[in-house]
Amino acid sequence: MAQNAIDKSVDTFPKFLLVNARERGQRPAIREKDLGIWQTWTWAQVKDEVKALALGLKELGVERGDKVAIIGSNKPRLYWSMCATQSIGGVPVPVYQDAVAEEMVFVLQHAGAKIAIVENQEQVDKVLSMSDRLPSISHVIYDEPRGLRDYDHTRLKWLNEVQKIGRKAAESKYSGDAWEKMIAEGKGSDIAVILYTSGTTGNPKGVMLTYDSVVISSQNANAFDRLTEKEEVIAYLPMAWVGDHIFSYAQSYVAGYTVNCPESPETIIEDRREIGTSYAFAPPRVYENLLTLTMVRMEDAGRFKRGMFHYFLNHARRWGEKILNKEPVPLGARLIYWLGELLVYGPMKNRYGFTNVRVAYTAGEAIGPEIFRYYRSLGINLKQLYGQTEAAVYITAQPDGEIYADTVGKPSPDVEIKIEPSGEVLFRSPGVFAGYYKDPEKTAETKTPDGWVKSGDAGFFDPKTGHLKIIDRAKDVGKLNDGTLFAPKYIENKLKFYPNIKEAVALGSSRDFVTVMLNIDLVSVGSWAERNNVIYGSYQELAAHPRVYQMLAEHVDEVNKSLSEEGPMAGAQIKRFLILHKELDADDGELTRTQKVRRGFIAERYGPLAEGLYSGAKEVDITTELTFEDGRKGTVSARVKIQDMKTHPPAAAPMDKAA
Amino acid sequence: MRAPDETTIKAGQTLLSVQNVSLSFGGVKAIRDVSFDIKKGEIRAIIGPNGAGKTSMLNVINGFYHPQEGEITFKGVKRKKMRPHDAATGGIARTFQNVALFRSMTTLDNIMAGRTLRMNKNFFWQLLRYGPAEREEIEHRRKVEEIIDFLEIQHIRRVPVGRLPYGLQKRVELGRALAMEPELLLLDEPMAGMNLEEKEDMCRYVIDVNNHYGTTIALIEHDMGVVMDLANRVVVLDYGQKIADGTPDEVKSNQAVIDAYLGVAH
Repeated sequence: MAQNAIDKSVDTFPKFLLVNARERGQRPAIREKDLGIWQTWTWAQVKDEVKALALGLKELGVERGDKVAIIGSNKPRLYWSMCATQSIGGVPVPVYQDAVAEEMVFVLQHAGAKIAIVENQEQVDKVLSMSDRLPSISHVIYDEPRGLRDYDHTRLKWLNEVQKIGRKAAESKYSGDAWEKMIAEGKGSDIAVILYTSGTTGNPKGVMLTYDSVVISSQNANAFDRLTEKEEVIAYLPMAWVGDHIFSYAQSYVAGYTVNCPESPETIIEDRREIGTSYAFAPPRVYENLLTLTMVRMEDAGRFKRGMFHYFLNHARRWGEKILNKEPVPLGARLIYWLGELLVYGPMKNRYGFTNVRVAYTAGEAIGPEIFRYYRSLGINLKQLYGQTEAAVYITAQPDGEIYADTVGKPSPDVEIKIEPSGEVLFRSPGVFAGYYKDPEKTAETKTPDGWVKSGDAGFFDPKTGHLKIIDRAKDVGKLNDGTLFAPKYIENKLKFYPNIKEAVALGSSRDFVTVMLNIDLVSVGSWAERNNVIYGSYQELAAHPRVYQMLAEHVDEVNKSLSEEGPMAGAQIKRFLILHKELDADDGELTRTQKVRRGFIAERYGPLAEGLYSGAKEVDITTELTFEDGRKGTVSARVKIQDMKTHPPAAAPMDKAA
Repeated sequence: MRAPDETTIKAGQTLLSVQNVSLSFGGVKAIRDVSFDIKKGEIRAIIGPNGAGKTSMLNVINGFYHPQEGEITFKGVKRKKMRPHDAATGGIARTFQNVALFRSMTTLDNIMAGRTLRMNKNFFWQLLRYGPAEREEIEHRRKVEEIIDFLEIQHIRRVPVGRLPYGLQKRVELGRALAMEPELLLLDEPMAGMNLEEKEDMCRYVIDVNNHYGTTIALIEHDMGVVMDLANRVVVLDYGQKIADGTPDEVKSNQAVIDAYLGVAH
């Protein structure tokens, strides 16, 4: 690997393939579980397969610069299609396979794809159904022939047939090292891949990445986590997503490690267990699901097992992370942890497929600190990173031994970061994208002439750790009247980590200070009330109870304290709060159907309360309309108390450590 | 969902023919003088209102019931009396109206059980395990894995079928029937009790089985939409008698069929 990193002449993935086939030809390159058995292809075999496919594509008329769409789930042949296309100078365009036909047609039209290589009948049907709007597509190639036997095969081809054409061409037209010469024509500055990002607004944008940027990003990432040809990863995230492209394709080709394709989307947990991945990547929900599954199963276990599980889990919670971080730990605790490893942690890691894991990443959104610590306490080196398609993933990552549940880490090698006064994070690195395909306007909006890219996210460097923290989408971040940064979601999330608080709405944009409206969690606060002999007749009464106010005030105070320690956030502490007399509800339009608070709507609907929060009033009367489950409407009136909070002085930050 | 192309169906000879069959249980006449045929490679539906004798007909075909009158010809051979076991070795497999699987066995073992008839090595070889019996088992396992792949049930390979939802159990049952590599597959209400999505999935599998393995299929179904989409030809029974026989369109416009379904005074 080190050799590859130095050898600058190896600058495209087809070239890396040739190197791998030469230097580690007998090592496994890719596996797929098929008919219940893991089938393996070595690097030497992959080279032959890719060559046959590449020449087949050439025979079908793919020229240098042509775009080839790749649609399907993670299958070896689709990864080979990517390399085959690149080897003859084409540009692969992976497309999300679950995209509806309309979305797909946009991407295929926009990219002007000449050939679509798809997984199965489902995708063939989708592409053929829109063929009259896709005049640029000359052929559709499929991997899985099932159900396609009776289709009209004038423009449709089975991938194996294409390879057959390629093999024939390799003996006549392109004999000798003709293919290798085509590969040699590729340059690092060529476009390697176009990845379409699903814009939340408007049409997807095609992010063009050059070989140079993808290769450098991959080399840096491999060096950062000391990845070698011995790693095993499982490829199960969408191929059109930059994360999968880097983890399961680029980094694998650069380091020479093995990629494993699961049998079906439903068997991933089982497949991961069989493989025992050493390098893992997953969005937080995957870790959440695994944990929930464990907890549910443990509830069904016998008393002895359950007792053992909880005993050792508690022990791990106390000492596990310290042992992982190589901090001093008393011998007794070490011994019990070792026993726990034998009885509980080890078997559990085996179930998760994490027995051999050296590095595991989570990214995409905030992970609950409890979940994060759970995995770390078992001895799994779970870390966070922050990345974007425009950066070929890596912007920041947590180095080993510097792990925090609420940061995304330090700038990755070769990445520069600066924070705009608006709070927006800008980055510059050799990995940044070349531009949006056919969209110079958007490119200019996002990328400055000197190479800085606007991430669209707001964040700041945590003075305590020197790590970057992402607080919100930049467009949602406002300012207080005195110019202090105000990130409503960041504050709300901090509050919502308390089980007693179900929802929080932070106000403060263009105001003098920050206030919040809270919703109690009826289950959690209700059970607290039961235990503490607090008597209440209704939700409204419980929400207005002085002792509930007192309890939540403590939570708010803790949040203020943690905000005071976070540099730029210190000025955005909560000055006043109130507890809403009714639960926020999607039926009333206060939440979206995906349970996100609609801040603007709530501020309007509860206008008198919002005014009260800023007028200094102690109590506010309010009448609101509400919708019952059966659709009838009623009104509810209440007198809501408003509580003042004191703020903490900004903590003196040890800046020297951060630098 | 896609109906198979008319041109792709091999206009094969008659695979099975039922001639003037009558079946009665004591005084109850379940089937009265019914004749029809099933051609190789087609999907043949048997429909009719409740109690029309559809399941009895299926039971006659696979030898579970013995008709008092009439004869059945399968692959050109007339047969009067046979046991279900003979029908199975002869190439007829079936699924049941209410799932009949080994509930505590895994999906894999259930489908493997469907291969039993195709195991050649005797009990003692299998007891020995090694050598020919092992090679044979590997070959069977391969077939079973192909079926698992075909029906997309890899994720439940090791799950006892009793724990599976109904729709999946039905799929496993289809898998077990397929494991016999039958020439004629009898499906007794394969979509009963399923939700729309499960039905659509099942329809696709039925078409794929017909298309991919070339298996002839006879199915009983209540959902008329399903029948009209799937079947090449439909035979309609009512009170044990055949009242119509033809393509779905012909049957749909047949007055006797409409009467039977909507109900007229008899």
